[in-house]
Amino acid sequence: MKNSTLIKGTAAIAVGAALLLGGGGTLANWNAADSATPGTIIAGDMNVVAGTGVWKDRNDKPVDISTYRVVPGDKLTYTQDLTVTLVGDKLAANVTLANIPTSTFNSDNVIVSPLKLSNTNGDVTSTTVLKPVTGSATQTVTATTVFEFKGSTAGRNDVTKDYKLGNVSYTVTQVTQDGLSGVTTPQ
Amino acid sequence: MRTKRRLQAAALIAIAVVLGLFTVQGTYALWSAAASASPGTVTSASFDTAMTAVNTGQTTNMTLTNGTAATLTLSPAGTLGPGTSVYGGVVVTNNTNAGGQFNAAITAGQPTLANVNGGSLASYVRVNAKSAASSTECSTATGFAPIPSTGLVSPTVVKGASTVFCFQIALDSSAPATVKGQAVNISLQLTARQLCGVPSGC
Repeated sequence: MKNSTLIKGTAAIAVGAALLLGGGGTLANWNAADSATPGTIIAGDMNVVAGTGVWKDRNDKPVDISTYRVVPGDKLTYTQDLTVTLVGDKLAANVTLANIPTSTFNSDNVIVSPLKLSNTNGDVTSTTVLKPVTGSATQTVTATTVFEFKGSTAGRNDVTKDYKLGNVSYTVTQVTQDGLSGVTTPQ
Repeated sequence: MRTKRRLQAAALIAIAVVLGLFTVQGTYALWSAAASASPGTVTSASFDTAMTAVNTGQTTNMTLTNGTAATLTLSPAGTLGPGTSVYGGVVVTNNTNAGGQFNAAITAGQPTLANVNGGSLASYVRVNAKSAASSTECSTATGFAPIPSTGLVSPTVVKGASTVFCFQIALDSSAPATVKGQAVNISLQLTARQLCGVPSGC
């Protein structure tokens, strides 16, 4: 009987010891591991590049505005393409232009349509919202102005006068959309 | 407790101050990009028409720099006798610097004759004219006719080209001897007009 108790006791101890020894002396909870690739955050893009402007006469023939001299009856059209880059899932933008021409022509003798912007959808005003187009990082916005020297100009009126278009600036500005927290400079 | 509250208060103040600093300094702006261009200057042409006297070579622009009409003396060669004529002419040149087409037509108006020093020669003088392609035609006696009330209109004169008006001054064969030695001033107006050459532009 005693031997059994001894044996049991010994076995118990041995098991306890074996448990201790089998663990290398460390008791650890379960653990498991896996890996993942969250991905890369890439910023979009926004830019505007002005192409070369072109002047054409009534016959759609290009003219060199630096040497061409208009006469009554002439009608010149200026066209300049802007390449607007819009890349971004929540990107939207306005395009505005600033232009302050000066003229020495008598306003009775000329018809001038102010410089304006347009695209395939029509006029692009300061409130038109442009968004990225599917399949292309860029889209075209076109600036145009028309100068007409009236054929009814009499005598020698407005000879050697000029209409200076000066400098034109085109600005693309991001506008906030749902899901964005950016705001313009606080007042 | 006091310490904790003080610390808490201090922390709140610190946070508020920091936030305050950020608000003053910070600018929250969305993207923008800009480009510029210089479309240039639209300049109108000159409307310069030159007149050159055939006999003397004297030349002037039809319109002076002050905007007034020029006067060109033609000085027909020779002296007038009853039944004879003298001749002169003017070459008119389209000198515009227009970029595109700029055709003109020149019109010679009817002459006015004025006696000098109270004479009576004018009533015996006839002025005839003809349009010519060359100044040498002014020496030939053929082709002259009185200038109609509507004027004598040249052919179309393109940019850089010229036209010629020849004038014949004839003294009636019936002119009396009393007009011998008298003089008369003859003047007529030349008008240059742009022709509509810009399609759909006039």
